[in-house]
Amino acid sequence: MDHLHIFRRHLYQVVFAILIGQGIVFIGAWWLTSHGNLAIYWLIGGCAFVLIFSLLLAGLISQLASAPLTAIRQAILHISPSEHGIPAPQLNQLRIGRELVVNLIGQIYEFNDVTSKTQALAEIEQKDIKHNFIAQNLPLPLFILDAAENIKFANKAAADYIGIDAPNLINKNVYMVLDMSFTSTNTFDTWLKKAKIAKATFVGSWERVRLNARDNQPNRLFDLAAYYNRGNPDHIETILVLFDHTKTYSQDDQAISFVALSVHELRTPLTLLRGYIEVFEEELRDKVSPELQDFMDKMNSQAEQLMAYVNNILNVARVDNDQLELHLQEASWPVILKSAIDTISLRAKVRGITIHCRIAPDLPTVGIDRLSISEVINNLLDNAIKYSGNSQVINVDTHLTKDGLVETTVQDYGFGISSSIMPNLFTKFYRDHHNRAQVGGNGLGLYLSKAIITAHGGNLWVRSKEDVGSTFGFTLLPYSRLAEEIKQSGNQELVRGAHGWIKNHSLYRR
Amino acid sequence: MAGLKTTRSIEDKHDTVEKAMEAPPVVGHSILCIEDEQFISELYARALTKAGYTVTIIADGTKALEAAQSNQYDIILLDLMIPNLTGIEILRTLRNPARVPPIRSKIIIITNLEQRDEVRADIEKQADGYLVKAEITPNELVKFVQNVALPS
Repeated sequence: MDHLHIFRRHLYQVVFAILIGQGIVFIGAWWLTSHGNLAIYWLIGGCAFVLIFSLLLAGLISQLASAPLTAIRQAILHISPSEHGIPAPQLNQLRIGRELVVNLIGQIYEFNDVTSKTQALAEIEQKDIKHNFIAQNLPLPLFILDAAENIKFANKAAADYIGIDAPNLINKNVYMVLDMSFTSTNTFDTWLKKAKIAKATFVGSWERVRLNARDNQPNRLFDLAAYYNRGNPDHIETILVLFDHTKTYSQDDQAISFVALSVHELRTPLTLLRGYIEVFEEELRDKVSPELQDFMDKMNSQAEQLMAYVNNILNVARVDNDQLELHLQEASWPVILKSAIDTISLRAKVRGITIHCRIAPDLPTVGIDRLSISEVINNLLDNAIKYSGNSQVINVDTHLTKDGLVETTVQDYGFGISSSIMPNLFTKFYRDHHNRAQVGGNGLGLYLSKAIITAHGGNLWVRSKEDVGSTFGFTLLPYSRLAEEIKQSGNQELVRGAHGWIKNHSLYRR
Repeated sequence: MAGLKTTRSIEDKHDTVEKAMEAPPVVGHSILCIEDEQFISELYARALTKAGYTVTIIADGTKALEAAQSNQYDIILLDLMIPNLTGIEILRTLRNPARVPPIRSKIIIITNLEQRDEVRADIEKQADGYLVKAEITPNELVKFVQNVALPS
């Protein structure tokens, strides 16, 4: 439309310029021949007449002159496969060059007949090959979606992959068929939404996508690639290709089952040791020398330490495999804290250490996962005991911060931590080289505690000076801050992962 | 093969333990302990007997299910890893809603096996308690059993 429009406007301007020029010359000559006797209103009237006459005539001429071009253009558009709804040109209304235009348009249609036939054949052949051979035999699951996110095509591999016959997949919504979880918030549906708003074509890819299988089928893990093409005439708007990596990715799951097996094997003798120690304590208490009694306490405390370590192994494996799930519930912090300190008091006692606990009055309730938080306290106290050296006091203090958070600190007066190793303190398997010879431990505790506190929405920090001691502190959110979130989720509790899978949400909004 | 032999010899020993423990069950106080680790079942039986319970120990899954279906036990302690039938299979059979009459026994899972959270939640739904053996001493088990045995 544009070029023709510009052409017509230029033609109009040129014709108008010529006409108005001629009119001025004519009026000038008329005025001269009358030797100045002409009244001024005749002059003005003449000018106005010339102006209006030129405008109308220029319009008419440009219209008539461009009509053949318009007709030819319309004919071309009429047969063009990329345009829809353009009617054939009306040749009867042509005034100028009708014969020429009719001939030209005839040739255009003739030409189109030949090419469109061969083209249509080639296209059918192409589509056939595309859909039935390459796509069908592609050894990768392939899905084609239309603009409404319904499946328009699924190849054999795709049907096999999700265990539904291909014909039953057609016209189903993709989210109903592919229940996918992603490792980041950039899920397929957020990507597609972004594409639809801002892109003509868009390519996306994801690693480690999980297909949440139905009916006891095992979950599958795959990489996903997607191509988006807005308004594709064949309704191939989105193409999805899946690359199955279940075997590779699930090796991590195998790893956790190895961990689970080792833990089981460690726990059985541990159960027995603790059982026998209890029997001895029951039967021999007050009958053995204080020295033997002390040995018994030490034996018991070591068994408890081993148990705590086994739990650390399990939880680190969970954090690393995105399987740590925290169930945050309302709890009275002093109750939890005291009970956790109680659990470790024997370990402190056998090393001659007293744990002092100071709890600020009127603390608000906190939103916590009891088991995990108890493990955090256990780990921090365990460290404080290990690194206390000759010092015999550990101070635990809990209070409300200015920001309204419940802060708990564990302070020892032992070796302290040299500033050079501070940055690595919360890394897995990290331990103070200085103390490795003297102190047992494995460096899982702080790594785990950090992960647990972070998942609670709190912060774990440390302040330490060599040969003076260390203070570890962590903050917890008061329950009131979590209550709103819990209310919105409609549950009694809030479930959080350390860095968990994010569900593809579209399914749930439909 | 060696594993099989070991299991069998433990079973034989268990049969004798079972006979020794076969006292007439006291109402509200009879316990079936399904556990194949002999040292553990001995320890548990010792503590529970001291607390006044009558304890029957069975180490074999099939035999244990048979005994449990007699419906004469107030409490069943159920290990998940036992020979011939898994604890989960026994739990499902006993807690099958179609069963007439329903099994009246309270069932407490005792295990050292770490389950995925969703599996554990599913087991806990059907049982009356779930304990990790390494995390409790025999006396703590007795306290737990006393709480579960309280009429609800």
